[in-house]
Amino acid sequence: MVRIKTLDGHRRRSTQELLQTIEAAVLRGDTEFDIEASGQHDIGGPLWNREGKELLFRVRNPGQRVGAMCLPGTTVLVDGPAPADAGWLNSGGRIVIRGDAGDTAGHCAAAGVIQIGGRAGARAGSLMKHDPQYEEPSLWVLRTVGDFSFEFMGGGRAVVCGLGCAPAVSPLGARPCVGMVGGAVYFRGEADDLPEDVLLSAPDDNDMSWLKAGLANFLASVGHPDLLPELSDRRQWNKITPVPFEQRKRAPVMDMGTFRRNAWVPGGIFGDVLEDDGRVTELAAPGDERLRVPVWNGESCRDCRLCLKSCPRKAIVRTDGEKGVYSAACARCVGCGLCAGLCPCGAWRMTEIASV
Amino acid sequence: MASVSVQDVSRNDLPWLVEWRQDKCVLCGMCAAVCTADAICFTASRGGVRGAALRQRAEISHACTGCGMCTKVCQQDAVRPVRNPDNRFPLLARAGGPLKRGGRSNLNPPRTLDKLVVGRISQMTDPALDSERHTFDLRAPLGRVLPVQDLPLRVEGDSLALTAPTPPVRWIYPLLFSDMSIGALSTRAWEAIALACAYLNEQCRLPVRMCSGEGGLPGRLLESEHLKYMIVQIASGHFGWNRILRALPRMKTDPAGVLIKIGQGAKPGDGGLLPAAKVAPHIQSIRGVPRATLHSPANHQGLYSIEEAVQKMHLSCNAAFGFRVPVAIKCAASATSVAVYNNLLRDPYNICGGFFLDGIQGGTGAANEVSLEHTGHPIVSKVRDCYRAALLQGRQGQIPLWAGGGVGQTGHAAADAFKLICLGANGVLVGRLLIQLLGCVGNEHGRCNACNTGRCPAGICTQDMRLVRRLDVDRGAQAIVDYMLAFDAELRKLLAPVGNSSLPVGRADALVATDKAVADALGVTYAC
Ligand code: SF4
Ligand code: SF4
Ligand code: SF4
Ligand code: SF4
Repeated sequence: MVRIKTLDGHRRRSTQELLQTIEAAVLRGDTEFDIEASGQHDIGGPLWNREGKELLFRVRNPGQRVGAMCLPGTTVLVDGPAPADAGWLNSGGRIVIRGDAGDTAGHCAAAGVIQIGGRAGARAGSLMKHDPQYEEPSLWVLRTVGDFSFEFMGGGRAVVCGLGCAPAVSPLGARPCVGMVGGAVYFRGEADDLPEDVLLSAPDDNDMSWLKAGLANFLASVGHPDLLPELSDRRQWNKITPVPFEQRKRAPVMDMGTFRRNAWVPGGIFGDVLEDDGRVTELAAPGDERLRVPVWNGESCRDCRLCLKSCPRKAIVRTDGEKGVYSAACARCVGCGLCAGLCPCGAWRMTEIASV
Repeated sequence: MASVSVQDVSRNDLPWLVEWRQDKCVLCGMCAAVCTADAICFTASRGGVRGAALRQRAEISHACTGCGMCTKVCQQDAVRPVRNPDNRFPLLARAGGPLKRGGRSNLNPPRTLDKLVVGRISQMTDPALDSERHTFDLRAPLGRVLPVQDLPLRVEGDSLALTAPTPPVRWIYPLLFSDMSIGALSTRAWEAIALACAYLNEQCRLPVRMCSGEGGLPGRLLESEHLKYMIVQIASGHFGWNRILRALPRMKTDPAGVLIKIGQGAKPGDGGLLPAAKVAPHIQSIRGVPRATLHSPANHQGLYSIEEAVQKMHLSCNAAFGFRVPVAIKCAASATSVAVYNNLLRDPYNICGGFFLDGIQGGTGAANEVSLEHTGHPIVSKVRDCYRAALLQGRQGQIPLWAGGGVGQTGHAAADAFKLICLGANGVLVGRLLIQLLGCVGNEHGRCNACNTGRCPAGICTQDMRLVRRLDVDRGAQAIVDYMLAFDAELRKLLAPVGNSSLPVGRADALVATDKAVADALGVTYAC
């Protein structure tokens, strides 16, 4: 057992001095440490014994990132609270914090276990993930977590017991699980403000057996084994999982026609002053929608039938008589003016029909 | 052979040449059928059907506008308008009097907004935000915002109580659908924009507001719940206001605001103009006039000074809706804008709820070209000047500044809006952009801009039902909605790197200018 004090009268060991002392001791083969810290960062990782023995750190008064980048085989026990980033990037260690943890506890944890015997701050468990090559990470919190927790969570499991949380207050804080794409969050109590792309459900049997086993271990670690019965009531537990990526739909959007028919002024806002059936015509429309209309003048016509042959819409009708009588069938004619342009006698003339 | 003299107008005198490929054309006739300018027709170059040729009319009154509808319908890719740089149109077309058209200025000086870059990025100094997941507050005020020390508050026990009413303020989306009147627009175009506005509010939770323009509002809208999205405009012609007043007892809700239009950026000092070709029966009834070309006076008659404008017009418009609705004023940006703004800021009655400034790149349905091209003031420096004038007095933010005139001219409205907001605008106005989304093919390079003729090929700026039926209201509204959703996402993309959760009004430190003169004029950092 290596005991380290970091204060010597008014002299405090810097983070660098402390970490180098620890590393040298681990290299020599020491495996158990008792550290009276004074805010030094990064105590506990990433370290390993060369013979594969377990490392144990008992720490009081750590600085930020206690247990950061921790490796399998390392246990960090913090007797009291820990500031921000406890268990940051945990890659397999076991980190136990008896008191509260600060913001971003368990941030980016990818393996191992983090157990917090009090509250965790904002953005707890954010970006936790699970590398399938290793075991999944878990984060346990006895009381509550702060706002924006489990943001962008990609894997692993988090448990928030909600102990001491006031009724009707979410133990998960404001806007939890935003951008969550994987993993699961278990909690007791009610959560609001959940994003649309997560599912709230009741834990199933597998969840419950995992939870119960883990809870016993967790509560023993943080010194509250007596709470096990209170926290074992299945009805109080909820589970949040992300909607699987394949099932994610964009919020159903109402198409504009449906909106106009159901939510807009019935019959349109101009319905009382202008008749408009809403029909949309093609650009080149026949009939009354024509911009120009061919008019035939029998006197100049020499009955050559050129217009009959050239009309692309087969709109021209010749009525037999001593001399042909021509007309353009309104339903087919689009007013292109080919007849007028081609007629060698000028018998067809295009006339503008006045608008409005 | 017809004789040709040198003074005759030829195709080559016109701004657009219609290029036709005889080898591709199958003489389907579609191009000529759809041309609203009647710019092209068929002729017989030789006898028989095979001798038909498409000819462009060499007439000023039938000049091709470059709208491209012929190209759109041609299945053979055989016809298209080609810009003619050597045209003599500006000389010849004035034979009929001053040139008139719609659209924007076509002179296109380099845009100030494009010389500004969002150059202050939160890197190590402060955290950038997540544009997709962070909660942003993108709302902008419409209404007089009282400074804290002027709030009529009294302590009553443990709480604060108002001792007097405060001016109405609406917190709305920082992009406003700007005033295009019923009359300037077709019924379908106007309705499509109003429909898109309602959809954005009710389906997309964007509190976008639309200004009616100076041609009144349809009675059915006045009496519907959707009136709450509308800002009703009063301009010098006061068109349609009798209907608005008559509808008061039946209104289910207040409108979002009243906008007093003093002038517009496209033709400052000139009143509204609605050519007779567009004064259809429903316009005659809404406006209460017979068919004729309708000019609005250049000025509100009876207003002779800023003080009078503030007191008389603002008071009347405030009173019309029981002082519950913010009343703002819209002017063309001008060398005098700061004087006007200062005056408004001193208004002791707190009845001016916004100063809308419209720059020279604003669009119009009809104006004299000489006004379009040669009068007005760029919007950017004027917004900045007004903001700085208020800042010097510690009165910034009290009378919201809304800026329009060329916002989204290059298609990138979010960037334009963001930069204007950084320079001091609370929000921006878009008009032309909306009709372009509906299908308007006009642009700032002289394409189409026939909005004044009543022959809009897209059915937008016309009352000719044959053309109006070309416009699909639902598809048009959807296009506006889609653009607005992209605008919203892009605005967040710009807010995130500067680390602002709310609109960065006046945060000119977020910008750098790549032009020294622009940097100096606007008081932003020069970067190269
Ligand atoms: S105008 Fe065109 S479509 Fe109509 S009859 Fe003549 S050739 Fe046929
Ligand atoms: S571009 Fe437009 S105006 Fe010109 S010929 Fe084609 S349809 Fe007619
Ligand atoms: S639309 Fe095309 S193919 Fe048809 S007549 Fe015109 S140029 Fe020829
Ligand atoms: S398409 Fe219509 S609205 Fe657009 S520029 Fe042409 S005439 Fe004006």
